[in-house]
Amino acid sequence: MKNNFWKVLGGWFKKTAQNIGRWFKSLFVSMDDKEPKLRTLMNSPKTLSFVSSIICIIGGLLVGYLIIILIDAKNATSIFGSILKGGFANPYGAGYGLGNQLAYTAPLIMVGLSVLFAYKTGMFNIGVAGQYTLGAFGALYCAIVLNAPWYVCILAAMLLGAVWGAIPGLFKALFQVNEVITCIMFNWIGLYMVNDLMSSKITFTRVINDNLTISSMFNRGGANTWSLATVNKSSLLPDWGLGELFSGSSMSPSKVSIAIIIAIVIAVVIQILLNKTTFGYELRACGKNKNASKYAGINDKSNIILSMTIAGALAGIGAALLFLTDIQQFPKSTTSLSSLAFNGIPVAFMASLNPIGSIFAAFFVAHISEGAGLLTGTTFSKEMANVFTGIIIYFCAFAPLVIEQLSKRKNRLEMQMLEEADNAKPKEEDGKEVNL
Amino acid sequence: MTNILLILQFTILYGTVLSLVAFGGMFSEHSGIINIALEGIMVIGAIAGAVVLALCQRAVDAATMSAGTVQFLTFMQANPGFIVVLSILAAALAGGVYSLLLAFASINLKADQTIGGTALNLLAVALAIVIAKSINMTYLTNSANPQVRYVNSAFKIQILENPRFEISWFFIIALIALIAAYIGLYKTRFGLRLMSCGEHPQAADSVGINVYKFRYIGVLISGILGGIGGLAYVVPSVSTWNFEQGVTGFGFLALGVMIFGQWKPLRIFGAAMFFGLFRAIANMSDTLFPTLVMNGFTTNIFNMLPFIASMIILALTSKSSRAPKAEGIPYDKGLR
Amino acid sequence: MDNNYVIEMLNITKEFPGIIANDDITLQLKKGEIHALLGENGAGKSTLMSVLFGLYQAEKGIIKKDGQVVEIKNPNDANALGIGMVHQHFKLVEIFSVLDNIILGKEPCKAGFINRKEAREKVVKLSEKYGLNIDPDALIENVSVGMQQRVEILKMLYRDNEILIFDEPTAVLTPQEINELMDIMRGFAKEGKSILFITHKLNEIMAVSDRCTVLRKGKCIGTVETKKTNVRALSRMMVGREVQLQVKKGEAHPGERVLSIENLTVPSKIHKNNAVKKVNLNVHKGEIVCVAGIEGNGQTEFVLALTGLEKPSEGRILFKDIDITKASIRERSKIGMSHIPEDRHKYGLILDYTLQENLILQRYWQPQFQNHGFIKNNEVTKYAEKLIKQYDIRSGQGPTTMARSMSGGNQQKAIVAREIDKDPDLLVAVQPTRGLDVGAIEYIHKQLVAERDNGKAVLLVSLELEEVMSVSDRMYVMYEGEIVGEFNSKDITVEELGLYMAGAKRQGETANEK
Repeated sequence: MKNNFWKVLGGWFKKTAQNIGRWFKSLFVSMDDKEPKLRTLMNSPKTLSFVSSIICIIGGLLVGYLIIILIDAKNATSIFGSILKGGFANPYGAGYGLGNQLAYTAPLIMVGLSVLFAYKTGMFNIGVAGQYTLGAFGALYCAIVLNAPWYVCILAAMLLGAVWGAIPGLFKALFQVNEVITCIMFNWIGLYMVNDLMSSKITFTRVINDNLTISSMFNRGGANTWSLATVNKSSLLPDWGLGELFSGSSMSPSKVSIAIIIAIVIAVVIQILLNKTTFGYELRACGKNKNASKYAGINDKSNIILSMTIAGALAGIGAALLFLTDIQQFPKSTTSLSSLAFNGIPVAFMASLNPIGSIFAAFFVAHISEGAGLLTGTTFSKEMANVFTGIIIYFCAFAPLVIEQLSKRKNRLEMQMLEEADNAKPKEEDGKEVNL
Repeated sequence: MTNILLILQFTILYGTVLSLVAFGGMFSEHSGIINIALEGIMVIGAIAGAVVLALCQRAVDAATMSAGTVQFLTFMQANPGFIVVLSILAAALAGGVYSLLLAFASINLKADQTIGGTALNLLAVALAIVIAKSINMTYLTNSANPQVRYVNSAFKIQILENPRFEISWFFIIALIALIAAYIGLYKTRFGLRLMSCGEHPQAADSVGINVYKFRYIGVLISGILGGIGGLAYVVPSVSTWNFEQGVTGFGFLALGVMIFGQWKPLRIFGAAMFFGLFRAIANMSDTLFPTLVMNGFTTNIFNMLPFIASMIILALTSKSSRAPKAEGIPYDKGLR
Repeated sequence: MDNNYVIEMLNITKEFPGIIANDDITLQLKKGEIHALLGENGAGKSTLMSVLFGLYQAEKGIIKKDGQVVEIKNPNDANALGIGMVHQHFKLVEIFSVLDNIILGKEPCKAGFINRKEAREKVVKLSEKYGLNIDPDALIENVSVGMQQRVEILKMLYRDNEILIFDEPTAVLTPQEINELMDIMRGFAKEGKSILFITHKLNEIMAVSDRCTVLRKGKCIGTVETKKTNVRALSRMMVGREVQLQVKKGEAHPGERVLSIENLTVPSKIHKNNAVKKVNLNVHKGEIVCVAGIEGNGQTEFVLALTGLEKPSEGRILFKDIDITKASIRERSKIGMSHIPEDRHKYGLILDYTLQENLILQRYWQPQFQNHGFIKNNEVTKYAEKLIKQYDIRSGQGPTTMARSMSGGNQQKAIVAREIDKDPDLLVAVQPTRGLDVGAIEYIHKQLVAERDNGKAVLLVSLELEEVMSVSDRMYVMYEGEIVGEFNSKDITVEELGLYMAGAKRQGETANEK
């Protein structure tokens, strides 16, 4: 009995070792008529796009550095260094800084997902800003006026964002109006509409406590909406102890909350949705080849509308994940569209349109934004981060194409060799000859 | 009466901006390049022109400045016309150079023109704020202010004294641009060849036209006109401009104007004035329609109107809308 | 050296990756002659003329003009030598006027301003001299295809071209316009201009050309004087006599009718005529029916209408007695129609999907492959591996290879595998063996015959005569959108078939033989 046991164990070890050995070998050598795994990895489009993203980011950082040198050569290196340190250089402590950075990462993930989801299905969602604004309105209205708890606020934000995303989808599917211009127009329509609603149309009275009764969404100073901590604590996203974890030297918790967890979960859901469901299969097919999708019987009109709706919902949730942490308030009668929302575009392209990648890309953008925001000199401040991201996407506009061209040239030679090999020898199958 | 004159004044002001920028977009798209970056080009032109303007209007301080600078500034301030010309040139040059970024990416690197344009928009606003702050810090207000202050009287031409009615030099430029665009496109060899590059680049190539060269020129023109248009938006209306707001979407509105104008100069001019009228009414909504305003038609609603009108017209006319046929598609000489 | 040759193309060899398009071809054009260039699809005619016009450079061989060796590196060089070309797909700007299109690139100018008056005078003079009726101010998008072609011709004359190349000029013309064109060509020749025209239409060659060079599979078969030959001889030169492939198949046992097409009419996207004109056709279980014809005679539009990718303007399609004329593509697939498309990159595959994702393109929604909307990846991989083995589809990494990196032949095998494995009642296959090697071609043919023997209906659309003759049981010949003949494959010879395909003969009429 004992002998048997050792024999079986030994056999198992041997088999596993052999398998590991085989796997290792398959990295470098052609096996089972398949090419070496490393070669596939090097040539695979996923690797190529990852490499091109990294190149874009590094290139963008370098050019941005040059611009800083041009403007203020003396302090250039320390400024660049500050930006690179991100939230870690926060004067209240690295933990606090990181916490706030995560608080900004969550909405960035969402807007990044919004842009990338639409792009994978063939559309450029530059309307992410308008959808975000509608989402912000939804969340803040429920929080301030309706005294609703946070999950209701998120739901409202999602629904309003979805509606605002559906509109360009409808215009494209029904009237063939290009979604870029529709999105742009509705960004501004949305902004003015929300401004109007919040500053003049919404009237209510709500008693908060003995000292405070509110009748407007904007606070006493009139410049921003009420801080949610003041008017409705139940609308703030719970933090499950994360705030304490990421707290600073003054022991005050940062604004991190479960937002980051929600965002990561949604990113994973989107990844599964796009890559593992029939719905995702159809959407991606429409984005990659409209004709073949038609040939396969896929209805492209309804897919366009559906995918823009989802993209809008994602942007709306993003707004909720920001405002329900009280890290920022919504300004009154603003005349500019949300810069954070537009940062969804760099996040999406830096992530090579990969939902999981967008988590890291969002973290990167939040990182350099925090770094820029902490700059103590006055000339350079938070918009410096946008300079970097702007340059990075400029590179993203063509770097992937250029890299693809270079690898195509290599592949064409390989394919030619493959074809010649194909045509030369017949394949033997179980001893039987294939007819020739 | 004053109201009508005011509306006319504002209409012309906004219409001028929209025409200049839309003409620029028109040239670019006629050559085959979609230019989403008009918003960013306007911002870059605006900051360049505004900075030159403010710098030339600095207080002269013989103690801290070099002799040459003192001489230059005294001369400029005595001849405000020169300041006007210099700032407009600066705006045009800056816009043109910035547009070359789009041209290079789209024409030589065959980039996606929508992504490239969006990148330049994002970059421009941020860059403008940084430049404003640093110039203010170093030369002007000694504080990092994103607002640029200047005196804009030299830009205006007074037509009527009482009641007051004035137009800006930019309107003259816009009229000249209109005439030049019309003649250039339809009467010259340049215009014919430019349009062929955006309609059927293979046909153009097959008769020996250099498609790449004409596309560069098209984008460059859009940069120059867009830059001037940016300055035209910022300077005449107010004497301080906060660059954190960019150009509040006027670059995108100009795209809408270009589409309604169906890429034709006269129609674009008309559409631009039409939209200018909407904006003028929005600005003056409380004086013009006090009852409406009281009943809830706020400035915000008036501001929405041009965009809503755009969408309705786009939806109705999209089937018959005729963009340059080959626009947005990178031209590759190798694939005949 | 006989030196009244205005153009000589000597020993031209032009290669593309994997194929020799022109193999040591010699073509000599006399001054003032109309010289036809005849051949099937893929014979190399267009490539040869593209070399002459400077669009391609030959690997071997030289070109001489008037006895002097010349180098033609681009269309400008060709133009400088007086060579002009009217392409099959016109290079005209739709929104420009006729006049502007003619002068584009060579506008008469004064200080940059176009002198349209001078241009108009010259153009009108040219048009009157050669009888080329045009309206100088009309926009190209509003003008007939015949006039568009005249505009292209005037482009050449405006530039004083003396050597005129026409690529399939009559493909888009009405019979009336074809006669006008032939008169115009005769006028040019009389004046001393030399004409080369590419065609597959034997009647026209006999009607208007002085000499004819025949190409087959990249090689020059010979040059003949038109007066001394006839359509049969030309057809024989074009297609050759031997049929190289022999497909082993037994007798067909056709059963009940599966597909019935009545009066199908489909509009064309490129010209104002219909692409398919009142076509009647039927297919039964257990037979392979072929629609034969030269490319561009309406087969593409016919298949698109049949499979639902385009809408017909008239007619009915009955599938197993159900009217599917208005049915969606998914419905047609569900009730038993499979389609191997002509353009594998446009319709057949999603190049950025993996091989296994492409193999389930028509079936991803079936319970075998998904569960509550989630794709069963294991099942998909298993299915893909089965098809890969069965059809010998070769790829870099098996089922997870990106379709884009597969060779053309293997991409086609994947499509064929997918469509046949659906077990359809009607298999519509358009050029299913294009780009495949001999072994794969034979395998596909075997599959088609096996389907037929299993009682399925197969509708094959093919441009390869050998395939048509050896695989099909019954055939229809399509010429200019109409069915000009219906035969049992056993009852017709290759030469006869060539005549029908080239429009020289119609069922019910005697041949236009000279």
